Amino acid sequence: MKIVIRNTFDKAFTILTALSVIFISLVLLGILGPMIWRGSGAVIFKGTVEFRKMQMDLFERGNQDVLQNEIVETDTVRKTIFETINRFKKGIDTEALCDRVRDIHREFGQELRLKGITGQEYSRLRSITRDIRDKLEVTFESQDKKEITKNIEYVLQFKKDERFKATCAEELFQIALGFQKDIAKIDLNKRKQYEEDLIQIEQTLFGSGEIPGLLGPHPDKPLPALAMNRFGATRWDQSLKLLDKLLWIEEWVEKEPGKPLEKVRTSRKEKFAGTDLEPLFSSVQDNLEKILKPRLTIYWQFFIDDNFNSHYFGGVGPEILGTLLITFLGMLFAVPLGLISAAYLVECASDHFIFRMIRMCINTLAGVPSIVFGLFGLSFFVLFLFPLFGMPSKGCILAASMTLAILTLPVMIRASEEAIRTVPQTYKEASLALGASGFRTFVTVTLPAALPGILTGIILSLSRIAGETAPILFAGAVAMGPIPKSLFDPTRTLSYGSYDMAVGDRISMMVPHNQYGMVVTLVILVLCLNALAIGLRSRVFKRLKGH
Amino acid sequence: MSQRKLNIALEPAAAKYRPLALTPSEDLKGYIASHLGRAILFFITCSSVLAVLLIFFFVIREAFGFLTHFSLLEFLTKTGWYPEAQEPKFGALALIAGSVYVTVASLFFSVPVGILAAVFLSDIVSFKIRGFVKPVIELLAAIPSVAYGFFAVLVLAPFMQKKLGFPTGTNALNASVILAVMALPTIISVAEDSISALGRELREASYSLGATRMETIFGVVIPAAHSGIIAAVVLGMMRAIGETMVVWMASGNASQIPHPWWDISQSVRTMTATIAGDMGETVKGSDHYSALFSVGVMLLIMTFFLNLVSEYFLTRAKKALGK
Repeated sequence: MKIVIRNTFDKAFTILTALSVIFISLVLLGILGPMIWRGSGAVIFKGTVEFRKMQMDLFERGNQDVLQNEIVETDTVRKTIFETINRFKKGIDTEALCDRVRDIHREFGQELRLKGITGQEYSRLRSITRDIRDKLEVTFESQDKKEITKNIEYVLQFKKDERFKATCAEELFQIALGFQKDIAKIDLNKRKQYEEDLIQIEQTLFGSGEIPGLLGPHPDKPLPALAMNRFGATRWDQSLKLLDKLLWIEEWVEKEPGKPLEKVRTSRKEKFAGTDLEPLFSSVQDNLEKILKPRLTIYWQFFIDDNFNSHYFGGVGPEILGTLLITFLGMLFAVPLGLISAAYLVECASDHFIFRMIRMCINTLAGVPSIVFGLFGLSFFVLFLFPLFGMPSKGCILAASMTLAILTLPVMIRASEEAIRTVPQTYKEASLALGASGFRTFVTVTLPAALPGILTGIILSLSRIAGETAPILFAGAVAMGPIPKSLFDPTRTLSYGSYDMAVGDRISMMVPHNQYGMVVTLVILVLCLNALAIGLRSRVFKRLKGH
Repeated sequence: MSQRKLNIALEPAAAKYRPLALTPSEDLKGYIASHLGRAILFFITCSSVLAVLLIFFFVIREAFGFLTHFSLLEFLTKTGWYPEAQEPKFGALALIAGSVYVTVASLFFSVPVGILAAVFLSDIVSFKIRGFVKPVIELLAAIPSVAYGFFAVLVLAPFMQKKLGFPTGTNALNASVILAVMALPTIISVAEDSISALGRELREASYSLGATRMETIFGVVIPAAHSGIIAAVVLGMMRAIGETMVVWMASGNASQIPHPWWDISQSVRTMTATIAGDMGETVKGSDHYSALFSVGVMLLIMTFFLNLVSEYFLTRAKKALGK
């Protein structure tokens, strides 16, 4: 009986340990999977015609003629949307109507003067149009149907008047008639609501100053200054989101006091049922593919393009460049130092006090928090060493790479030491027996034999410093800035860029694909370097086993 | 004629065969070259020592201005951190507490999982499966810290807030969960090294007495490898306490000690995050600036101390094996 319990415990424990490893693997999968999946959306996605317009405009890519054809095709479908909105707006947008009526009144006065009508006749006609204007203005603002009909009838009685024939005043009557027609369909109490909704609808379609819309800016309006506002939804997923925003009204409602707010969705189509705007929703919904022409796009230029408007458009080219620059420059400092130190520690060091001190220092260096390296880089390189040599005292690529070189020195030393140690003693002894000096033996025999292992160490250090952020925060990384022209300029990097986009402003939150794209570029860069190192190491092991 | 022929044959031969013994001058030259070379290499090797000294010197030098103006006692025991106020206050207790909170909480998650995984790799699983699991752990170690922070902010934080109903997604729990994942590779690899270094004799003795595998592991293997495991935990702790990006992004950056003390779903602010977050806004040489360097000195001293502890345990583990 007791043995059974003991065995059960044993089995349970085995399963528990296995579960822990499975759990760790799942965590890795759970972190990398969604990130890579969403990040791949930055490169592979369904691009709309707006995307191709953007590429042509900002990067001069694509076929001009094909694009022009597409634009013409989409514009014919879009035209009906614009018309629907304009028609509806006439009945709703009272301010525009009032403005128009006032303009007509003014124009009419000029027209009369041009015709040479002056004196009493002039002032009488003017007073009539002034009367019409005032009446219409009241009508537009009114919410009482009876009053509106009465006023409009009053206005229309002048329609037959010969003196208004063939003048611009005729438009007044057209407006009045149109308004009468519109008003028949619209529930007047809802007009204020409609007005607010119309603003939202227009923002969703044409974009406001801050958020780009589904179709890009209204063709009648001037082109916005910011590049991000000049185009509509460039991606299919983006356009579906905007379509959802167009079709549904989302509100947070407190259903019971004290309870958290709940999201309530109501259909816009139902809200606008019976009005001129109703067909808009189904026409946008049904024709969305014709309006935007989505097509599978592989945007490999993501890795070389500069960005526009805080990463709203474009890619991570300068960030990759900056990361590679800092990383390789850092390795340029770290590799010779680390290699020589490792060689000396393996070949010449004894158990003397000094060497124990050196080893302790290397371990200490490995344990220094990365942010302290950042402080050191700032206080030593930027504020002390650079001014000493008459260089500008600001963060730059050189300072960042030297800081990272010191950070990675222990990794480099340990990896090289290990690699040099694994070279069989017999190799060295054979070389020494042939009369080669210690130095010569090291350079011609030990080093080539240890080279794959050293390379592994170099690649691991590379991947480590490519991903470091904290040490270069104050030493030369910036979130936004020009592409560096020399080593004394600060640069953008993938790591700091990822941080900036993760906690960043509203704009980067609107483009999650670019957010994830940036961080995934960094992760993939680092993981590829690691995979290379792991592969190299397993080859070395096989070779050493073979001997 | 024959004389000349002989000469031609002799000349290269004389050049080829040198006497085995070196002349005194050659001997001296070789001696000097070798020792000079060694001396140069020695000095290059000392570059890491120099780096450590420079780091300590420069970080302490910048912190010095603060330590002469303000009392160290207040710095360590007060909680108010208002560096830009009219009357600036530099009480770092809440920051130290924040670091301790996330570190201890992360160890709470990572140590059990890490040790179980180390045992799994060393004692339970075959060599072949080990070859599959090892790269997983290496990948976990290779992911840049900023990517972990990114995950914490954009995936874990909304999840915690919406699905688990926390008042805020960026809190001490979020940071410590991510830190636990980051500390895992260190803990697993160091613990596994020390556990598998024990050798078969101890285990076989235990099995021959009739113990099950679990009893062997808990009664023999882990007690015997305890030095290495402690070193693993300390190294994991160093990784967690020195981590910047994750805690900066995920901990919420509210300079407070959670109340009640066990509630880690509140936001905290760590020492590393304070340095990273505040340094961009300070004027060089101001009190705030040197206060941040003082925080850096504190971090440096902490990790230095932890490093000594881990090294003590690692050498003890090595000595135990040597016996």
